[in-house]
Amino acid sequence: MKFVVVILAGVMTLSGCASFRTTAPGDPIEPINRGIYSFNTTFDHYLFRPIAKGYDFVVPGPIKTGVTNVFQNVSDVQSLVSDALQLKGAKFGDDLGRVMLNTTFGIGGIFDLATPMGIERGNEDIGQTLGYWGIGSGPYLVVPFLGPSSLRDAIGRYGDSQVNPLSYVSSVPVRNSLTGLSVVDARVGLFPAEDLLNQASLDKYTFLRSAYLQRRQSLVLDGKRPKEE
Amino acid sequence: MKFMKRLKWFTGLFAAVMLSAFTVVSAHAEIAPDALIKTVATDVTTVLKADPAILSNAAKLKELIENKLIPNFSFARMTQLAMGRNWSKASPDQQAALTKEFQTLLVRTYSGALANFRNNTIDVRPLRMQPADADVTVKTVINQPNGQGIPIDYSLEKGADGNWKAYDIVVAGVSLVTNYRDEFNTVIRDQGVDALVKQLQAKNK
Repeated sequence: MKFVVVILAGVMTLSGCASFRTTAPGDPIEPINRGIYSFNTTFDHYLFRPIAKGYDFVVPGPIKTGVTNVFQNVSDVQSLVSDALQLKGAKFGDDLGRVMLNTTFGIGGIFDLATPMGIERGNEDIGQTLGYWGIGSGPYLVVPFLGPSSLRDAIGRYGDSQVNPLSYVSSVPVRNSLTGLSVVDARVGLFPAEDLLNQASLDKYTFLRSAYLQRRQSLVLDGKRPKEE
Repeated sequence: MKFMKRLKWFTGLFAAVMLSAFTVVSAHAEIAPDALIKTVATDVTTVLKADPAILSNAAKLKELIENKLIPNFSFARMTQLAMGRNWSKASPDQQAALTKEFQTLLVRTYSGALANFRNNTIDVRPLRMQPADADVTVKTVINQPNGQGIPIDYSLEKGADGNWKAYDIVVAGVSLVTNYRDEFNTVIRDQGVDALVKQLQAKNK
């Protein structure tokens, strides 16, 4: 958390004098974001991506699916909290049903029994909850190591971490290993999108920013899209 | 005189038949937008399922895309929308080059993505539209084998010939046109329209 505060403080000081160059609306600190983006890309290229590739290659498919399911179950618990904070009864019911079913009969979430039964993931988080109650996304942020975010969503991410069941694991080495595994699992999930990004984009930074902001807006509105123009 | 009367009657009948036949034909040509999306999606997945090898056969894949997909998209409108306010800054030559290169880029990107759609089914939500509507959004959901659905919306406009063509695809809330508009804007802002044409050409090489 200290780390995030330092970044935010830095961002806020710098954004004051970052107007030397025209930037896209919604991205007032584009030069700084681009710097962090290129740092993340290098880090990913030399360390993170090879680890995820190795994991993807070595670990058998069913185990990988089980790992993904366990972490999705964890995020369903987080979603449950945000469903409640947005007073979304139907989503709350779905997420509660999912967590109960998958945690018990799905053995701690290893098997996702709820999805084939048609119980959809609520897919909510604190960032969306803030958006739901009328808080705009604020300036676009690229967070070191984590990638695209916004001021609102970065704060939301901190809130989510507070309701993450993994943070209640008391053994520090176990907790850290689980966090590491969840990050690698998430990175493996990005491989298909990575090919598309390389093929489709002229400027990956802008492509990602636009996709991120649109996707978050859509999630806040639960898929209802305001007609533009 | 009798003959002339009969001839008149015949011509009248002939004209009436032709007119009604023409009406029927043009009614057929105006296939509804939701039916169009359903037909195209079903046609493409049927071909892919029947002959999965097509995905690794560049020539066959190109043929499928050129026959089934390209006629149903308005690349001119897509390019214009993606350019936004920069469109009027481009010369007619630049506009033509941009449209051509953008089409190539999109076709390449999405022919690569087709491989992922082989085992998916598509649900097209019925569209409620007025007869006078000339711009609609058809909502669909792609059902993946893992049980999760991806919402994909198609924006279509009605051409002067009465045929509907798609000009935007919105995947899980991310509009293709908006995404490219932001990218094009950045390139044009920093380097100008010619640089954008050159970048697209380089990308398509």
